[in-house]
Amino acid sequence: MDALHILIELTLMPLVAFVVGLFMVLMMRRIAARIQRRVGPPLLQPLYDILKLYGKQTQISHGILHDIGIIMAVGGYIAAETMLPVPGMNGIADKAGLITLAYVLMVPSLGLALGVGQCANPNGSIGISRALTAMLAYDIPFVIVIFGVAWQAGSNNLVDIIALQQVDGIASWGIVQTPLLAFAGLFALHAILGKHPFEIYIAPAEIATGPMVEMGGKYLGGLFVMQCFQLYTAGVIYTSLFLGGGENWLTFLVKSFAVVAVPICIAYLFPRFRTEDVVRLVWKWPVMLGLIGIAFVMN
Amino acid sequence: MIKDIPIIAEQAQQPRRTNPLAHVFDELMNFARSRSLFMLHYCTGCGAIELPPAMTSRFDMERLGIQPMVTPRQADILLVTGYVSIKTLKRIILTYEQMGSPKHVIGICSCTVNGGMYWQSYATAKKLDEYLPVDLYIAGCMPRPEAVISGLQKLIDNIKHGKSDNWKDYYQRYDHYLGNQQHLFGNNWQTPTDVIGEAREYGLFGPQTLGQHTELLESVQKPLQPLEMKL
Repeated sequence: MDALHILIELTLMPLVAFVVGLFMVLMMRRIAARIQRRVGPPLLQPLYDILKLYGKQTQISHGILHDIGIIMAVGGYIAAETMLPVPGMNGIADKAGLITLAYVLMVPSLGLALGVGQCANPNGSIGISRALTAMLAYDIPFVIVIFGVAWQAGSNNLVDIIALQQVDGIASWGIVQTPLLAFAGLFALHAILGKHPFEIYIAPAEIATGPMVEMGGKYLGGLFVMQCFQLYTAGVIYTSLFLGGGENWLTFLVKSFAVVAVPICIAYLFPRFRTEDVVRLVWKWPVMLGLIGIAFVMN
Repeated sequence: MIKDIPIIAEQAQQPRRTNPLAHVFDELMNFARSRSLFMLHYCTGCGAIELPPAMTSRFDMERLGIQPMVTPRQADILLVTGYVSIKTLKRIILTYEQMGSPKHVIGICSCTVNGGMYWQSYATAKKLDEYLPVDLYIAGCMPRPEAVISGLQKLIDNIKHGKSDNWKDYYQRYDHYLGNQQHLFGNNWQTPTDVIGEAREYGLFGPQTLGQHTELLESVQKPLQPLEMKL
């Protein structure tokens, strides 16, 4: 019974993440459109895109690693979704801690690096080297932030962290208890999403979408699915760490969408940084704020 | 002289699949395909200037599901905006062959229809549809964004009803298209994409896929070599 229960949760959680992620992608494109004074795409546009890409009749593969890379990229996020507790479902969140989660979140970038390497397209290689540089940049503040939160809660288990924040309403939320860490986390989240001004590795006008340059058909479809998971993961991690998780589905979804909306609203107002500027910026401000935040927490 | 063969042979409508579920699936895929078009614009001509207003806030193509993409692998539509010089045409053909099917070519401006004001130029390809299977022409010098969008809506309707299958024509009558390309570029013309192999792989072989022009291609074809690494 217990195994069956876990199995159902492990199946449902990525599915829920995908559906919510589709709407997050829609929200992102609508916000971009509104900022540019456009109407924006219709309600099911992200779904149409994915259906169309998987329905392409000729597929161009560059070899076995190209295929495996996409599977790793999507699979890494699917694994991450099972460790993110949602209202009513914990999956394997209480067995896997924050450290496992941070580790699993690196798998997609590495998978992409594998796949893009075989495409032998110089734009792709530049893109993936920039993506790994960006990962190096944002993982430092991200690790500092989750260390601070875990120290504050006395546990690196997301279920415990959420339970602790729900004891006393808003006053016990991470964003009230540790505002410096929360701000550093938001900064790191923006870099993790890879939106402007941190969009160094997509850069359509410069390196022709970087890692995606040789992806067509189902490969690009896989990356579109990955984007849904990426937005969902970012929103839910931040909600769980700082906004008290979700008491029920309504508050959970409102919080996650609000978290994703903040970096996106900022993103479309800015041009792009250069790679070294991103590393300099992300290693300076969020790291500094995060370390001060940790000092307050450990005091 | 270029042989003046009518380009769009009356295509046999694909028979409906008998399984009702498969039919529903086909309809769904056609609908998704029509509502999500990634566009690669090959903007060498003056018609390109009409695309920014069509894409941005004034007319906003994204509400029809059309958005620009930057590489041929990701794109569904190849927009050829304006006159096509012979040198440009080589690049357009390379680009077209790298796109994943189903793919659609749209010729914008009079120059792609009949050479337009470059009719007497020795260096301009006159009719785009002799070299590529064009799905739709948007005539005008230049067509306004409204015309571009109404043309795209026509394409959307065609795709929705399964009538926009010209990409198959390129595989089924490759000999014809290749012959016209060789006439323009010389007998040594070859592209990195193995169109005949793709036609064989995906079951798109037609009676005119092979012919005298593909024989010529095979006799001059050099195998692709990886680029030399230089610093």
